[in-house]
Amino acid sequence: MEGASYARMPRVKIRELKDDYAKFELRDTDASIANALRRVMIAEVPTIAIDLVEIEVNSSVLNDEFIAHRLGLIPLTSERAMSMRFSRDCDACDGDGQCEFCSVEFHLRVKCMTDQTLDVSSKDLYSSDPSVVPVDFSDPASTDSSESRGVIIVKLRRGQELRLRAIARKGIGKDHAKWSPAATVTFMYEPEIHLNEDLMETLTLEEKREWVDSSPTRVFEIDPVTQQVMVVDSEAYSYDDEVIKKAEAMGKPGLVEIIARQDSFIFTVESTGAIKSSQLVLNAIEILKQKLDAVRLSEDTVEADDQFGELGAHMRGG
Amino acid sequence: MVAKPGSVPDFEALRELFKHHIESFDHMVKAGLETTLLHIKPIEVLDDFTTTKLRIWLENPVVYPPQKERISKTMREALLPFECRQAKISYAGKITIDVCFQYNDGPVIRENVNFGQFPIMLQSKLCNLRGADPKKLVSCKEEASEMGGYFILNGLERVIRLLILPKRNYPMSMVRSSFCDRREGYTDKAVVIRCVRADQSSLSIRLYYLRNGSARLGFWLRGREYLLPVGIVLKALIDTTDREIYVNLTSCYNEKYAKGKGAVGTQLVGERAKIILDELRDLSLFTRRQCLEYIGEHFQPIMPELMKDSYAIVADAVLKDCILVHLDNDFDKFNLLIFMLQKLFSLIDQTSVPDNPDSLQNHEVLLPGHLISLYIKEKLEDWLQKGKKLLMDEIQKKSNKFDFSDIAQVKKIMDKNSAKLVSASVENLLKTGRLVTQTGLDLQQRAGYTVQAERLNFLRFMSHFRAVHRGASFAGLRTTTVRKLLPESWGFLCPVHTPDGEPCGLLNHMTRTCRITSFFDSQGNIKDYFKIQKSIRDILMEVGMTSSLPKIFLPGPPEALTVLLDGCVVGCIASSEVEKVVAYIRELKVSSASVIPGDMEVGYVPLSMGGAYPGLYLFTSPSRFVRPVKNISIPSNGSESIELIGPFEQVFMEIRCLDGGDGGRKSSFPATHEEIHPTEMLSVVANLTPWSDHNQSPRNMYQCQMAKQTMAFSSQTIQHRADQKLYHLQTPQTPIVRTSTYTKYNIDEFPTGTNAIVAVLAYTGYDMEDAMILNKSSVERGMFHGQIYQTETIDLTEQRGKSDRSSRIFRKSNVEKLGCPSIDSDGLPHVGQMIRPDEPYCSIYNEVTSSTQTYKRKGSEAVYVDYVAVDVKNKKHIQKVNIRFRHPRNPVIGDKFSSRHGQKGVCSQLWPDVDMPFSGNTGMRPDLIINPHAFPSRMTIAMLLESVAAKGGSLRGEFVDATPFRSSTKKDGEGSDSKSGSLVDDLGVLLKEKGFNYHGLEVLYSGVYGTELTCEIFIGPVYYQRLRHMVSDKFQVRSTGTIDQVTRQPIKGRKRGGGIRFGEMERDSLLAHGAAYLLHDRLHTCSDYHIADVCSLCGSMLSTTFIQPQKRPVRQIGGLPPGRLPPGRAAKKVSCHACQTSKGMETVAMPYVFRYLAAELAAMNIKMTLKLNDGAEVGA
Repeated sequence: MEGASYARMPRVKIRELKDDYAKFELRDTDASIANALRRVMIAEVPTIAIDLVEIEVNSSVLNDEFIAHRLGLIPLTSERAMSMRFSRDCDACDGDGQCEFCSVEFHLRVKCMTDQTLDVSSKDLYSSDPSVVPVDFSDPASTDSSESRGVIIVKLRRGQELRLRAIARKGIGKDHAKWSPAATVTFMYEPEIHLNEDLMETLTLEEKREWVDSSPTRVFEIDPVTQQVMVVDSEAYSYDDEVIKKAEAMGKPGLVEIIARQDSFIFTVESTGAIKSSQLVLNAIEILKQKLDAVRLSEDTVEADDQFGELGAHMRGG
Repeated sequence: MVAKPGSVPDFEALRELFKHHIESFDHMVKAGLETTLLHIKPIEVLDDFTTTKLRIWLENPVVYPPQKERISKTMREALLPFECRQAKISYAGKITIDVCFQYNDGPVIRENVNFGQFPIMLQSKLCNLRGADPKKLVSCKEEASEMGGYFILNGLERVIRLLILPKRNYPMSMVRSSFCDRREGYTDKAVVIRCVRADQSSLSIRLYYLRNGSARLGFWLRGREYLLPVGIVLKALIDTTDREIYVNLTSCYNEKYAKGKGAVGTQLVGERAKIILDELRDLSLFTRRQCLEYIGEHFQPIMPELMKDSYAIVADAVLKDCILVHLDNDFDKFNLLIFMLQKLFSLIDQTSVPDNPDSLQNHEVLLPGHLISLYIKEKLEDWLQKGKKLLMDEIQKKSNKFDFSDIAQVKKIMDKNSAKLVSASVENLLKTGRLVTQTGLDLQQRAGYTVQAERLNFLRFMSHFRAVHRGASFAGLRTTTVRKLLPESWGFLCPVHTPDGEPCGLLNHMTRTCRITSFFDSQGNIKDYFKIQKSIRDILMEVGMTSSLPKIFLPGPPEALTVLLDGCVVGCIASSEVEKVVAYIRELKVSSASVIPGDMEVGYVPLSMGGAYPGLYLFTSPSRFVRPVKNISIPSNGSESIELIGPFEQVFMEIRCLDGGDGGRKSSFPATHEEIHPTEMLSVVANLTPWSDHNQSPRNMYQCQMAKQTMAFSSQTIQHRADQKLYHLQTPQTPIVRTSTYTKYNIDEFPTGTNAIVAVLAYTGYDMEDAMILNKSSVERGMFHGQIYQTETIDLTEQRGKSDRSSRIFRKSNVEKLGCPSIDSDGLPHVGQMIRPDEPYCSIYNEVTSSTQTYKRKGSEAVYVDYVAVDVKNKKHIQKVNIRFRHPRNPVIGDKFSSRHGQKGVCSQLWPDVDMPFSGNTGMRPDLIINPHAFPSRMTIAMLLESVAAKGGSLRGEFVDATPFRSSTKKDGEGSDSKSGSLVDDLGVLLKEKGFNYHGLEVLYSGVYGTELTCEIFIGPVYYQRLRHMVSDKFQVRSTGTIDQVTRQPIKGRKRGGGIRFGEMERDSLLAHGAAYLLHDRLHTCSDYHIADVCSLCGSMLSTTFIQPQKRPVRQIGGLPPGRLPPGRAAKKVSCHACQTSKGMETVAMPYVFRYLAAELAAMNIKMTLKLNDGAEVGA
């Protein structure tokens, strides 16, 4: 036991990185860490979202709660979120959540004066802080301005008016889904596919084709030249066991062996736009570290260490 | 598939579903009332002194469209339905009728009388919305798809229920044991016919068979049944001889065919004919005149208005008004009576079977317009009779002031009898659904004719118009025979769409294509029945019918078949010819050019061995069920011949189903007709269940129930409505998997649910026993969000007496201006304001007493003020206010949800998103988790199919058609890309194309551990409905609270903060467990715990009295309020009143009701004594 360290040095290899999309490999760690990362990304990375709405005038067709709910779900750019305070912890404003350290104020004043239906969208929200604004989804490549109207909040007809003040606060997805920065975070175990070449050779071309086609995703392919089955995209495999079942049905069990690597994960992260996907991952790691620190430093842990003995040391990072 | 925004969808198919209500009302106001007035007998008032006779009758009814109360003399404005709903008034238009007066034979004096405000059906000819296109409807603040068919009374929408009635003008043979009890000698067999006059009023006639072989004719007059020997009636009707009657009666018997196929008569018929004629001879009635006088003599005492007429006139009146009233001609009546006798004898001789009175074959339906015209007829008759009585009284007074010959004075007398009451009583019928009638109108029930058209959701609303009720009198029957699903109702009534429980089988729903015949032909003109019947007769004669003429004896079956046209014997057709004739008539029926109406029923009952009584029964009458089928026997030239058939003829027709089989049909009976589509046997609601043919049938029934209690997008005009309660789903979606019916009827206008990603797995244990787990984040993003709108109407004119009516206004109190911030200075709440329980929301100021009264919110939850509408009619002060509250109803634990396959469940947890299982490939987390145990026993395969199909559909961005019975309707070559041809194989391919598992399974990872779940999970989108049963409206908790004054036990009722009864069975269960302390706690300590003083000497607990302790001057202790000190038990001095001592007083703990019992017994002079002893002694 002495000297044996459980600590591993996980490695990350980024495959694809866009503002709202990231795909990376996470190696040399186990499912618990990978899942912890996923869970933190979805539920515990803070963002800023509208949390309090004061409606002055609402003559639209939607009721106040409905509009407030819709406003809450609008993603706001939240680069500031990590450094902001939770309004419940804010000393500057006694927790009423209306100071510059913990909140951002928005105003919306729209009235429809024409006969045409007016779309009130997130673009009509005026922020008190230029760094916290509704996320702009318009494609910078396209120049069509009509498409860049933002998220529609409500539609107004002639004479209808919407006037409100909204306060956005920092929060986490655990409390409410509107604070979740992640549209989707998922990971899969990296598959290792071993074809039994000898057994494969016993198949006719027709059988090979049938077998290859049995996978709903394109994992295997037949080389047009050599007419041999080869793995083209092992990660397309969704652990559906279709090919294995097919092989068994063809009377060739063991035609292929697929192992899910327990220490290697492929992550897909999609952001709502509140923070960049790269930042989302970094923030998640940061928060995960903070959480671990909290565990390590808490007095309960020290007490618990005595109970757990050796394991306790491990928990503290020894 | 989906209408583009801005384009107006076509609601014609939807309107078709409501048409029978509207058409019947249209006919009533257009022509029906006129006919009704014709059938009302004029009243005659005779002044004995001057012998002037005054005839009064009614003519020329005119109903006007609803209009607002007069603003100025010239300006009149149309009243719109939405105004009625908001102002809680009735949608009614003026009705005027000309009252005609005629002295002796002098000139007719007409007086146009206002008969009050007559309720107008929405979208009827008189409705201000009639003919408005969707755009116009929206500008009138209605739904774009407003179909009408209902009435608005005091702001409530009410529908007249369709009611099953016996088929009109068809003699039905019946066996009923109650017939024996008429009188001595009666058997249980009779032939019954419900005769309907042109004004839709009806009278049933029964022809009873007597044990001695004779028959009695029973008919109803003034609420009593009178029984006449049938021979008298036969002879009284026409001049005839005994021989003619004998020959006519025995025409159905011929020795040649005895016991052959289709023979209905036996030699006994002749014997019975003789008995009938002998009866006459015994009464020494030989001629028609004698018979008439006999009848007249007996009936004159009960017909006081004919007191002065001769017996013959009285008898004529009886025959005309009571016997076979659907026929005008005495000869026709005679023939029909003969036919009824023959049918009766055949029933006795068991050569034909009795007709089933519970079968749809012998049913028709009571339509709204007909019910109203029946009712108004009686009310108008009453009005005339009352007017007559008033005039007679005035004449009898012999006052000099009254001059009978002065029409103005007569009118004045008549005015005493308010004409407006007639309309008011119709309105009252619609409001309460109760018939207030002396005669009963030949209807079986008095109450329950109307129901409120609830707009809980659109499907429920629509179902009210498609529902057909069997009649309230059948609900009380212990037998289940009336509730049975009979094969006769195939295609007309939906076998799936009937509620569970109490009204099961009694409340049915018409199928999608079932219609009710009306007075209007396809061009919208009123049918001329006289012309139609005449042309049908002509056609029948052309094809070889022997017409029934006086003195000509028609042969009976099996030689020839009697032809009855709307209950009138028109002739007979040789049985060898009849099949050809029927085919020919059907051909004419289908062809649009012919005079034969397309909805005529050709009820050909063929000859059989002891089956139904044969004959050719033709019906052209309104209010019959009809449905379209394809006629494949007519050589088609390209186009399909769609024929409308009724339930009577359907039984004897060969209609092929589309399943490709022969249905057990022999080649000698080829199918002449074919169903159009298999889904036509289902109602609209049942049609919306996707692939319902893959479900176990009860599940489809449950779904029909639940679809109607779904909290859905109920109305597009919520802003303009003031319903007492309105459920509203905030974020509805259109189903990915839908049937063709969904598109046809534009259900997308009122969607009922959400496509939820459903995973079928046992995940946390919180999905056991039909519980389901909702994804907390999904809910937070708006899934199943909804609210209840609730309207309070405050009408100052309604309250209190007339004295302080004007003095009460909506105003805030002067005194406590700061008191309640929720109320504005006008006494009404702010829109958007949150109102907590017990907070005032409205304030009324009384100017006289200068006091204020506030209305407070009850209940336990905060609500929002959604809308405040005020009545601007009264300019000075607002008198009427609608305040609409909004109760937020977002999903919480305990709310009920269901899929479209009768799979309901209760939300047991809102589970965090991160803890939900997720898919490694897509990252998808389910919105909803249900337990796999929900499937094996319930066999709702369609739900699994829906999941797979919706997954494929959403991946491809297409809606999936899930019309049931696909295999029966699939054309050859279509959809044959899969080998097996089964549905799953088509769906699986779609999934596989997109890289998903063929069977809809996916590998999921545990959200908690990140490890792969051990088996693949079935996951996909399923359309889920949110049901209206929500915990927030149901939970009931109580620790302490109000108690009953008498028993001191906790009260019941959720509204009043009561408890839930811990009843006998609960008590038994605790006894069985031996949980004595718990039992004691529930039934005593937490209930009416009471300590009584009992006198151990006399054993009484009632004679004990307190002795007032001597008042000692007590020094006030500062800080403690006086009297709040705990009363020391020792300080109390009790003595027995009876024993005059305070010795032996004991305290005993007991339920307070026990003391109450003692007191009640004492009131009855029963003394209750208690014997007290120590607990120790009991044991000894």
